[in-house]
Amino acid sequence: MSFPNPVTSVKLVLLGEAAVGKSSLVLRFVSNEFQENKEPTIGAAFLTQKLTIGDRAIKYEIWDTAGQERFASLAPMYYRNAQAALVVYDVTKPASFVKARQWVKELREQASKDITIALVGNKYDLVEDDNEEDLVRKVNVEEGQNLADEEGLLFFETSAKTGYNVKDVFVAIGNKIPEATASGSDTATNQTSGEGRIDLSGGGNFNNATSGCC
Amino acid sequence: MSKKKQEMSQVYLGTSNEFVFGELGGKGKHLSSFLKNLSLTSTSRKSKNLGEDVNSSIYGNMQYGRVLGEELGNGSGGVGGGGSDELLSSPGSPKLRPKLVGRSISMGTSFAFSGSHGDDSTSINLGGGSSGSSQSGVGNNGGPYKHSNLSSSSHLKSHRTHSNTFYKDLDADWDADLNDVRNKKLTSVKQKDNNNNDPSNKSRNSLSLVDSFHPEIGMVSSLPSLPKRKDEKISSASKKQSLDHEDHRAQLEVAKQNQLNSKYSKFYKILKPGNTIDINELRKLSWNGIPQDLRALIWQLLLGYLPTNKLRQSSTLTRKRQEYNEGLRVLTIDFDDVKTTSNTSSSSLINNKDRQIYHQINIDVKRTNPSIKLYGDPQVQKSLRKILYLWAIRHPASGYVQGINDLVTPFFHIFLHNYIWQVQKKAEAMNNPLKESDYEGLFIPGILDENDEIEAQFLKDPQLIHTTLNSLDTSKISPRAWSVIEADTYWSLTRLLETITDNYIHEQPGILRLVGELRDLISKIDLELSKHFEHEGIEYIQFAFRWMNCLLMRELSLDLVVRMWDTYLSETPLGFSHFHIYVCAAFLIKFSGDLKERDFQEILLFLQKPPTASWKEKDIEMMLSEAFIWQSLYKDASAHLRS
Repeated sequence: MSFPNPVTSVKLVLLGEAAVGKSSLVLRFVSNEFQENKEPTIGAAFLTQKLTIGDRAIKYEIWDTAGQERFASLAPMYYRNAQAALVVYDVTKPASFVKARQWVKELREQASKDITIALVGNKYDLVEDDNEEDLVRKVNVEEGQNLADEEGLLFFETSAKTGYNVKDVFVAIGNKIPEATASGSDTATNQTSGEGRIDLSGGGNFNNATSGCC
Repeated sequence: MSKKKQEMSQVYLGTSNEFVFGELGGKGKHLSSFLKNLSLTSTSRKSKNLGEDVNSSIYGNMQYGRVLGEELGNGSGGVGGGGSDELLSSPGSPKLRPKLVGRSISMGTSFAFSGSHGDDSTSINLGGGSSGSSQSGVGNNGGPYKHSNLSSSSHLKSHRTHSNTFYKDLDADWDADLNDVRNKKLTSVKQKDNNNNDPSNKSRNSLSLVDSFHPEIGMVSSLPSLPKRKDEKISSASKKQSLDHEDHRAQLEVAKQNQLNSKYSKFYKILKPGNTIDINELRKLSWNGIPQDLRALIWQLLLGYLPTNKLRQSSTLTRKRQEYNEGLRVLTIDFDDVKTTSNTSSSSLINNKDRQIYHQINIDVKRTNPSIKLYGDPQVQKSLRKILYLWAIRHPASGYVQGINDLVTPFFHIFLHNYIWQVQKKAEAMNNPLKESDYEGLFIPGILDENDEIEAQFLKDPQLIHTTLNSLDTSKISPRAWSVIEADTYWSLTRLLETITDNYIHEQPGILRLVGELRDLISKIDLELSKHFEHEGIEYIQFAFRWMNCLLMRELSLDLVVRMWDTYLSETPLGFSHFHIYVCAAFLIKFSGDLKERDFQEILLFLQKPPTASWKEKDIEMMLSEAFIWQSLYKDASAHLRS
């Protein structure tokens, strides 16, 4: 594009069962930190981070939602105008994968039809040293990949604790977001991005996202 | 909320002097009617039989207090045996009037702005005008009681005036004391009003009883030679005498110590004499902060968990603690199970839903107060799991909701502190038998047990005197004592959550309503900020949801929250719902200037981590005072608009 360094704003929402590591993923991405016992998120938390991918500057406006079922009724407020969603599960907890499936379904039905969704299996560090006899891993890579293929999702396994693949998720999402949404300075977009729904033309991804599994 | 409902909830609180277990199970039996109630009222309580039936089955068989009419009938010698409706429409009976005045406070709390000298005669009564009973009440009670908040009044140039002199807990056992207390108060209110506002008036310290106590908080050893009433003498004498600098400094030091003593002595005056504690006097005093060592006792009184009638305290607590243990005994859950993997085959005895609840509590307890060492302790975490799990399965309409794990910690913290304090004081008394009587009436019954061998060890522990919550070795506390601390925490949490149940049921209607009320309130108090938020597209739910769900506990340090709860627990009805809105407003407006300079994203980022790290108690007290004023100003106004 002709802009020297256009800022693309990406409204992004994190969804997933409680304690799968949504906030930890964001904390790793935003501050490159990790906290062992992070307080549960209540309602939703808002964070931002800028990233330069090639010649594009992308500003992520992240809504990190609370995982507990009781807060689920708040979620539409946050994903309604989102351009991207991270649906997170814990690779050691099958129930969290079931929940992830439900979130994908809900997003497909309720969110913007052009929303970019990344399926993220977190806590990869716990299964890194898995041996045959005693498997900590309860959700196979194939299961995640299959769901991603069926639904047309980006797919990664990550570890917020070690930082493994975390940035890659956000880069892949950034690459999927068409530049059409870039709109001058980031302060000017704040108000519109808060309220106005932006219709994405879709199909504007420049790079093919790579799957993060080893 | 309509005025009538407001008053009914007051009535309910007046009678809620103890917890009573029901007899039957009935989880979720009357769910639909219960939800219907919730959607209509904020407190979700009715003082009528119907309401109690519904709620007792939903809330796992707990009911509080009794039917109003019955209580009143007993309490005031048969006058006014009707229900609350009758009460409201019959302000003529002099015996009932005190009750009416009491209830009017929450609707029409009047306060007075006065000049910087605090001159009563310049005060303008701004509140209370819309309530007839309030008006007649003021006439009858001989003048409003006045608070003076040390730290805030000087900033605000205002004094707050309470007219809640008369409302009474209608405990059935009050028969003997009720009239006596009332008569005494009728004649002494005016005098009291003056006394409380005049620091040079020595008459309030004239009780020799009070002076015989000498709390040692902050002092390594007691200083028997310390002139205990010197601060009063200084303040009255300072006008006449000119003091040289050194004297002055020494006296300031003494005054500082004695200010603390004086604060204690005011509480002793209420807590120690007689068989019945005057809960209303206690509320007034506690509103401005409770000394650390008396906090557990007073919180339990304010909650209505500990009866105000001392003769009943011991038996009531024994029963409640037994009920807690019984409740746990029938559970088939292993509270030592801290595995976070959800497919534990060992717990197949309990059904899937209960296992999910336990799993959620387990993962949340691990990350409760992560910055405080005590909450990383395995025994502490186990206690919290028990309390939260029992509460969750006994309150199926809401169940466990994230954030409740925060709300349990102030109680647990204070009650655990109280246990250590009692053990320390008992150890002291063993060395000095004269001291034992000092703490009579200040110990919560049944906390200590002479037959507890582990406790006996703890009493002899040389480290005991230096033990604090930060340095506590939890293995020194016996299972019996943990159980008592847990039970008291459980019932206190139950009482608190009962006032805000609709914050945690499906779709959290309570929180949505409170957030809306906050938005409306800000538009009245700070129109500019309100417009700025609107311009930036800020939705209140985006930041205030957490403020309601966790009662600002994520925004303030635990110490400050504890101070805040002194005031919340002194409010009637308890301040966790309505008064909290005004506190949130005061909190938000503290940052008004900053916020108006910021855009959408900056506002959200700011409000997620408001700069409260350096806050002290005085900041909290300032905020509470502002909240009080706004409540007085806007509560009536909004009620008027709605009706």
